[in-house]
Amino acid sequence: MMSTSEPIISLRNVTKRIGRSTIIDDLTFDVPQGEIFGFLGPNGAGKTTTIRMIVGLMTTTNGQILIKGKNIKTEFEQAIQHVGAIVENPEMYKYLTGYLNLVHYARMVPGVTKERIDEVVKLVKLESRIHDKVKKYSLGMRQRLGVAQALLHQPSLLILDEPTNGLDPAGIRELRDYLRQLTRFGGITVIVSSHLLSEMELMCDRVAILQGGKLVDVKPIQYFTQGSGQAQTYRIETQQPELVMAALSRMDGIEEVKLGVEGIVELTTERERIPEILAELMQHSVRIYGVETVRRSLEDGFLELTGGKQIV
Amino acid sequence: MFNLVRNENMKIYRRVRTWILVGLLVAFVLFINIMSWQFDGKESQGDGWRTVLQQEKEHRNEVLKKPGLEAEDRTFNLQRIAVIDYHLERDIRTEDGSIWDGVNGSAQLAILISVFTIIIAGDIVAGEFASGTIKQLLIRPANRLKILISKYVASLMFGILLLFALFVVSFLANGVLFGFGHLDLPLIEVKEGVIVENNMFLNLLQTYMLNGVSTILYVTMAFMISSAFRSSTMAIGFSIAALFAGNILLEALQRFDWSKYLLFANTDLTQYLSGQPYQSGMTLSFSIGVLAIYFVAFNLISWLMFTRRDVTS
Ligand SMILES: Nc1ncnc2c1ncn2[C@@H]1O[C@H](COP(=O)(O)OP(=O)(O)O)[C@@H](O)[C@H]1O
Ligand SMILES: [Mg+2]
Repeated sequence: MMSTSEPIISLRNVTKRIGRSTIIDDLTFDVPQGEIFGFLGPNGAGKTTTIRMIVGLMTTTNGQILIKGKNIKTEFEQAIQHVGAIVENPEMYKYLTGYLNLVHYARMVPGVTKERIDEVVKLVKLESRIHDKVKKYSLGMRQRLGVAQALLHQPSLLILDEPTNGLDPAGIRELRDYLRQLTRFGGITVIVSSHLLSEMELMCDRVAILQGGKLVDVKPIQYFTQGSGQAQTYRIETQQPELVMAALSRMDGIEEVKLGVEGIVELTTERERIPEILAELMQHSVRIYGVETVRRSLEDGFLELTGGKQIV
Repeated sequence: MFNLVRNENMKIYRRVRTWILVGLLVAFVLFINIMSWQFDGKESQGDGWRTVLQQEKEHRNEVLKKPGLEAEDRTFNLQRIAVIDYHLERDIRTEDGSIWDGVNGSAQLAILISVFTIIIAGDIVAGEFASGTIKQLLIRPANRLKILISKYVASLMFGILLLFALFVVSFLANGVLFGFGHLDLPLIEVKEGVIVENNMFLNLLQTYMLNGVSTILYVTMAFMISSAFRSSTMAIGFSIAALFAGNILLEALQRFDWSKYLLFANTDLTQYLSGQPYQSGMTLSFSIGVLAIYFVAFNLISWLMFTRRDVTS
C-alpha cells in the first residue's frame, strides 16, 4: 500500500504560536498516498489546530505545509482543491436540505456535476433522507453528510477530525470499512484524528502521537497492539480447563498459564508456538471451542511511548 | 463568483427569517397606506382636492395676518399659496387623494429597508462563524476575498429586493385605494422662487436614490462589524443604534465643527434639497467625499479582518 512516490502531504517544522503560548511545536512528518494516517492525542493536544493549519483556516507561525507539492499558504487554491475535510464537527446549513448543502459546495468547485452529487449521496447512504432539512438529521447522518461534502470534488486527501464522535460501534466499523475502501480503490489518502487509541487501532495504518503540541512519535499501528514482537497472551476456551492447564504445564516454551473464569485458560507464549501447542492439546482429546489473542493493552503501548503519561 | 453569489442568495432566501422581514415590510406599507387613506387621503379623493386646497389657502392667509410672523415662515406660507393658486388656476390636481399620495409617502419607509438589510448584512458573515459553517466554506478553492464580496453583493441585492417590494406594494395598494389614474401628474414645487413642474416619477426615483445612499453606508458598516468582530448581535445592534441615535447625537454635537465629519452628518443627502445642511459650509460634494471615505474605509476593514485572521470558531 505504501508508495514510493512523493507524499500527498508533508509538514516541515510546522509551529503555531498564539500570543505567548506555543500550541503546535515543530511538527515534521509526511503521509504517503493511500495511507490512513491518524493524529492521536488527548484533548488539547493540538490535533484540531494542526488540521486547521493544513486546510488553511489558520496560518502557520513557522514552517510549511505542502499538499501535492503546493504550499497551502502561498498557493491556497491549488493546494486546497486536493483536500476534502471536516474540521471538528460536521457543521452544515441546518435550514437547508442535505441536498442543497451539497449543491452549495458543488458550486464552489468547477466540474462537480449533478451526477456526482447523486453518487456521493448514494455512497454515504443518505438517499432516503437527502431532501430533508439538516436540522432533522441525527448526528450520524450529519457525519455522513459531512463526509459526502468532503468527497464531492474527488479529493486526493480526506481529513476527518474526530470522525467517530457520536457514532455507535456499528457506525465506527462502517466508517472504517468505508475509509478502507476509499484508500484501496480510490487511491485516496486519509487523515483522521481521535483521542481514543482503540478507535485509531480500528482505522489507521500509522499514527502520529501528539501531546502538548509536540509530536511524540509516528508509529505503525501494530506497534501498539503487538508490542515489540515477543510473547503474547492467548485465551483458550474449553470445557475441561483443568485438563488443559495440566497439559500446558508440561509443555515447553510457555511463559505463563492462568486459569480464567467460565472455562477460559490464558497462556503467554510466542506466536510461533501456538500451532504446536494446539496440536498437542488435541492429542489429549480436550474439546477446544476457541482461541483468541489477548491484545496487549493499547494503553500499555501508549504509556511506553509517552513515558508514563496517561492518555485522555 | 456568480456561483458564490448564487450560494449566498440561496442561504438568504431559503430561510424563514428572510421572508418574515419581507412580510413585515409589506405589512408596514399596507398598514401605513390604509391608515393615511382612511384619515387623510380620502377627503381629497375625486374632486375633494379643491376643497382641501381652498381650506389650506384660507388657513395660510389667516396665518399671514398674524403680527410678528418671522420672515422665514412668511415666505413659506406665501410660497404654499402660490403653489395652491397654480393648482387651482390650471386645474392640475394635487397628489393628495391620488395614487401618488401613498406611493410618495411610502418612500419614508425606506428606513425599514435600512433596518432589515442591516439585519441580513450583519448576520451574513458572523452567522457563518456562529454556526461553524465558515470552516466548510473557506476550505474550497475560492479565495476569501471573493467569498466576502459575494456576501456583500448578496446583502445589497436584498436591499434592492426590499426597495422593489416597497415600490410594488405601495403602488398596488394605493392603486386599489385611490385608483390607478393620474399617473402622469406633475409635481409642482417652488425652486429658487419660481414655480416649476417636475416629473413625479423622477422625483420618486431621486428620493429612493438618496435614501439608498444612506442604506448602503449603514449596511456596509454592519457588514464590516460582522466581518471584523464575527458577532451578528454586535453588528446589527450597533448599526441600528447608529441609524437611529445618529440624529440625536448630531444635535448634541452641532456646536463642534468637527462633527460635520461624522458619518451621520452626511448620510442624509436630502438636507441639500431643502437647502438647510447640518452645518453651514457643508456642500453636496463635501458630503459625497466624506461618505466615499467611510465607504472605502469600511470595506477595507472588512477585507483585512476577514481575509487575514485565523478561523478559530
Ligand atoms: N484560538 C486559540 N487561542 C488560544 N489557544 C488556543 C486556540 N485554539 C486552540 N488553543 C489551544 O491549543 C491547544 C490545542 O487545541 P486543539 O487543537 O483544539 O486540540 P485537540 O483538537 O487536540 O483537542 C489547546 O490547549 C487549546 O486551548
Ligand atoms: Mg479537536
